[in-house]
Amino acid sequence: MRKFIAVVKREYVQRVRSKFFVVATVLGPLLMAGFTVVPALMLGIKSGGPTRLAVVDQTGKMYERVAKELTSGKKTADDDEDQPPDQPPVGSNNPKERVEQSGKLFRANYLVEQVPLQGRAIEDIRKDLETRIQNRELDGYVVLPPNLLKEGQAEFRARNAADLFTNNYVAGAISSAVRGQRLAERKIDENFVEAASQRVQLKTTGAGGTESKGAAGFYLVFGVGFLIYMTVLLYGQFVLGAVIEEKETRIAEILFSSIRSFPLMMGKLVGVSLVALTQLGIWAMAFLIFSAWAAGGSSIRLPHIPPVMFVYFIVFFLMGFFIYATVYAVVGSMVTTTQEGGQLALPVVLMLVAGLYLSFNIIRSPNSSLAFWASMFPFFAPITMLVRIVTETPPLWQILLSLGIGFATIVGLVWLASRIYRVGMLMYGKKATIPEVWLWVRQS
Amino acid sequence: MEDTKPTLVLDHVSKSFGDFTAVNDLSLQVRAGRVFGLIGPNGAGKTTTIRMIVNITRPDSGRVELFGQTMSTAMQDRIGYLPEERGLYKRMKIGEQLRFFAELKGLRGADAEQRIDAWLRKLDLFNWKEKRTKELSKGMQQKVQFITAVIHDPDLVILDEPFSGLDPVNVELMRDTILEQKAAGKTIILSTHQMEIAEKLCDDVCMINRSHKVLDGKLREIRRSFSRNAVALQFQGDDGLLNDPALVANIRQHGDDTEVLLVPGASPQELLRRLVEANLVITKFELVEPSLHDIFIEKVREVA
Repeated sequence: MRKFIAVVKREYVQRVRSKFFVVATVLGPLLMAGFTVVPALMLGIKSGGPTRLAVVDQTGKMYERVAKELTSGKKTADDDEDQPPDQPPVGSNNPKERVEQSGKLFRANYLVEQVPLQGRAIEDIRKDLETRIQNRELDGYVVLPPNLLKEGQAEFRARNAADLFTNNYVAGAISSAVRGQRLAERKIDENFVEAASQRVQLKTTGAGGTESKGAAGFYLVFGVGFLIYMTVLLYGQFVLGAVIEEKETRIAEILFSSIRSFPLMMGKLVGVSLVALTQLGIWAMAFLIFSAWAAGGSSIRLPHIPPVMFVYFIVFFLMGFFIYATVYAVVGSMVTTTQEGGQLALPVVLMLVAGLYLSFNIIRSPNSSLAFWASMFPFFAPITMLVRIVTETPPLWQILLSLGIGFATIVGLVWLASRIYRVGMLMYGKKATIPEVWLWVRQS
Repeated sequence: MEDTKPTLVLDHVSKSFGDFTAVNDLSLQVRAGRVFGLIGPNGAGKTTTIRMIVNITRPDSGRVELFGQTMSTAMQDRIGYLPEERGLYKRMKIGEQLRFFAELKGLRGADAEQRIDAWLRKLDLFNWKEKRTKELSKGMQQKVQFITAVIHDPDLVILDEPFSGLDPVNVELMRDTILEQKAAGKTIILSTHQMEIAEKLCDDVCMINRSHKVLDGKLREIRRSFSRNAVALQFQGDDGLLNDPALVANIRQHGDDTEVLLVPGASPQELLRRLVEANLVITKFELVEPSLHDIFIEKVREVA
């Protein structure tokens, strides 16, 4: 036990004190913030001033409305399907919405002019406008054909047809204008229609009257899944490195003459994991402090979740992390360089992703036999069992069984890793083949 | 001294890896308080033997017995081991590194700290305590590695090529340190290719070749048994009389020495008498005991 602690201590202290750890701890949140904020800012930068649009109104009555919509900056094409106000913000995960959100940043920046028809043929007008676009006096023009109100088709010519924001925006403005005009012609009050099309808000409660842990818990499950995924990807490399370190430095022989390989391997795993948890802990603290600050002192609106859920989240997160970390340890015991190891570990990490996908199915039928077995399979359990707990909590024995299987898997994998490590190490070989590894496991 | 109970007994030990037999039916005894030389050409099975002694691998058959008990993990702490494949953590400071290895051997706290300082001082490394491994020369790293083998004051010290990479001053320092350990009653197993050093240090020798033991016993007795009735000579004058086949079997130039192998049964005294009679100026006349080096080569050739 004392030797085990010595190993844990060494792995932990050496890593936490390294410059890399300090830098990563400080830069991590900055980078993350950078990845979310910077792209939005960059999308939002509109070079070259306002977008100049010309409108050719062949209907003779739509220009006012369209121009108003374009310059007011109120609508985009999809805004008709208004979201209920309470829905948690999921925007940043949805590329389409992200584009729209960024578009909103500069939507008011349009200069609109009417092109007088004066009896000219539409082709002449087009030719005129095309020249002006080429001369960079215009960025694009809109043609509203005479039967716009009936057919609902308009034309948009733009110098940059790939400019999604403008496209989307123009389409929204015209739709909105057309709708207004149609209503007006039938003498229907627009405001009334808007009020009438307000979406219904559905309040969901679980059967038996208990309030559903519903949406918030659900997002947290995916949060945990994502967290496990990121953590494993990030720190799996550290575990790999720690296991390979003695191979590269030839220290293993001294270690093996002093300590059995199981506590050695376990010590490495625990040491590196503590490093990971330390870093995550620091980041979580930083995040909480930051959001408290951003919320301006007002209390943060935490999702309403029973405390026992948090315990489950933490327990299953730890289990998931350790299961996958031990996979890296097994891989590390088989290879001689970290590069090789990364490739070898990838398929296993993909299982984690598979677990995420499975959970979509499980949400719909949390008591199916698929759900049961998926939540017993240790590589899926960290996510699938959480999904079940959140949707329709299974009997306690199932949760405990799942945890038990997970724990046994961890110990089994560490045992396996330590065996392979011990024999493979002393062979000073190249990468081991699977049959060789089997032989080693039986041999040592 | 000679009758003390053996520290280590290998009893018909064998170990193979797949089709390859690394050690075949090896039996030997290492007595307490002596320096035991384990010699043999590359690939003979020395390292495998040592690994079985320190419980890194287990023998397929046979028994390893240490201090009268079958070898076990618990006894690893009574052994100090300097492996041939040296390795230290590159980025760790020397002091920390030694503390880690000391803890792995069951030491801790102030006791470990005190011993580390004492050993660093003894081997002229104290100023390097806060330096990282990669800043040290190869010889220094070697000495640090040696400390890891003796820091916990083990009863049995196993040194695999302890002198490689050391300059003459440090070879001397290392030799003295090993002899000190011996004087303190420790048992030492020395595995080396450097026969001159083995010759000076070892009390007993065991030679392995191709996974078999080919020689085992007290060094002095082994050398005597290999005595070949040879004389090393330095003289000035006509060497014609050395061509007498009734007396001389073979002549070899060995640097300044002329090594004369006498025919079996011939007396070196007779050779000396003839040299004097022939009026040669003799500056050296020495009965040659075969060196460990010669015995080594002879034995290896014999098998091949």
